[in-house]
Amino acid sequence: MTEILGVNAQALLPDNKKTDRPLFMVFAILAFLATLTLLASAAGYRASADWRSDLAESITVQVKPRAELNRGPNGEPSDPAIARNILLQLSAVKSVTILPPERSQELLEPWLGDTPLPDDLPLPTLLDVRLHAGQILDSQQADAALLAANIRADIDDHRQWDREIKRTTRAAQTISLTALVLIITASITAAIFATRAAITGQRRLIDVLHQVGAPPSYTARLFSTSFAMVGLKAGGVGAVAALLLSTLIGLLFSSSGGFSYFQPGLHMAFFDLYLVVAVPVILAIIIAIASWRTILKTLFEEIYP
Amino acid sequence: MHTPSSTSIPSAQTQPSAAGNNANIRANIRFERVGFRYTRDVEILSDVSFSLPRGSMTFVTGPSGAGKTTLLKLIYLHMQPSRGLITVFGQDTSQIDRKAIPTLKRRMGIVLQDFDLVDHLNVFENVALPLRVAGRKQATYRDDVLGLLKWVGLGARAHVLPQMLSGGEKQRAAIARAVIAKPEILIADEPTGNVDQDIARRLIRLFKEMNRLGTTVVIATHNTDLISEDANVLALTNGQVSRINTGMRVKV
Repeated sequence: MTEILGVNAQALLPDNKKTDRPLFMVFAILAFLATLTLLASAAGYRASADWRSDLAESITVQVKPRAELNRGPNGEPSDPAIARNILLQLSAVKSVTILPPERSQELLEPWLGDTPLPDDLPLPTLLDVRLHAGQILDSQQADAALLAANIRADIDDHRQWDREIKRTTRAAQTISLTALVLIITASITAAIFATRAAITGQRRLIDVLHQVGAPPSYTARLFSTSFAMVGLKAGGVGAVAALLLSTLIGLLFSSSGGFSYFQPGLHMAFFDLYLVVAVPVILAIIIAIASWRTILKTLFEEIYP
Repeated sequence: MHTPSSTSIPSAQTQPSAAGNNANIRANIRFERVGFRYTRDVEILSDVSFSLPRGSMTFVTGPSGAGKTTLLKLIYLHMQPSRGLITVFGQDTSQIDRKAIPTLKRRMGIVLQDFDLVDHLNVFENVALPLRVAGRKQATYRDDVLGLLKWVGLGARAHVLPQMLSGGEKQRAAIARAVIAKPEILIADEPTGNVDQDIARRLIRLFKEMNRLGTTVVIATHNTDLISEDANVLALTNGQVSRINTGMRVKV
């Protein structure tokens, strides 16, 4: 891999393992940050997609209690059962599940705590409505049908949630993109700085190459190949470290049982491996181009007439 | 002693025009009323005119600061003149496309005063540099390089770094690098400046051998003891050509 495009960089440039170490660290850290940003962004996107997919296929209907409850044969409120039957008649609806009263109580927990509530406390009943794939419920039609049966209900088709998730995802993507732009800028700056230092350090070699008829592209290729190799190796280390860290975070979430709603999105996906491979390669290309341009500019300004 | 105006292009200008054109074509290096100055300083070279035919061997002499190194730099395309015309290999250097310069440089060999050996490359690698730049693989030039090193007395020093060499050895390594690619023009700036008289004579013999093989040789030196009676000499004083001996005439 040391001989690229006819230039054996390693043999012509001095062995600078010690002096290259700080540069290696900088590129590794930048690759680590870039990979972490991309992995987090991909995980966030997956989580968002999962949430939105769930939301799109489900609707929550809240049947409000009345002062005088209609009750069924076993004493249970009959309004939810009526509402269920009405909703099932709508073409988009696949299934309707009347959720147990405990779920309604869970909604009140943030305000009332987990103290048992009196049985006669009128609580709304929640209906979990599942839709056929790709179908959209006509909320107005459903509302009208329920009203006609004298049932007071709120239909939550999760549009508000969907909008919020979309907005949050977009904001997260913008932050990730900004971070990536900054990381790329930092990589370019580091590559330019390192190339300038190398030009100063290897001025004699550059002069001699010029004397013996090396075209500028030969000299530029020599240095840019060398820096690209440093970037590739450092990028590999940084990307693998980021992968390990994100896997560890995913495992910690799984084992703690927390963030259960976020958990599916933070699991590794096969696509993430592409990111881990792509980051060092892209970093090496960016470094090579920045180095190439810097050395050509210097050669034409200072050495070639 | 000639004045600059009277010595410009000594032979070609004294020939009939047809012959002169022919001479220009045959001249490997030609200066016509060349002046050079850094920014607004006084001219380092002023009205320098001469022609060096292909296969000639010329000594450029003169005291320190006379403009010898500048003249050589102009020949090997390191700089452009402030005025006047320079042709190398028959091409006007001011008209040469920047991309074509490396190709022309590969037809020249250069030995500078400070040798310009690359510190982290050993003698073999330093000498082989022009061949590597030309795209040759080591297997194809290994024997040539080792043979040349042996010829210049560095056969046993091939894998030594330059800092381990004496001044004379560095000089020979630099000369070996300049001639390894069999250049059409060999330019040497004070090639004997750092060696004793014995080694200096051996180096001059090496240059003469290169010249015998058809290379145009231009050597800047202040050591006139090394210049034989019949040698071509271009003497510079204060940036002007003060003397050109008859041996320099362009072959027509």
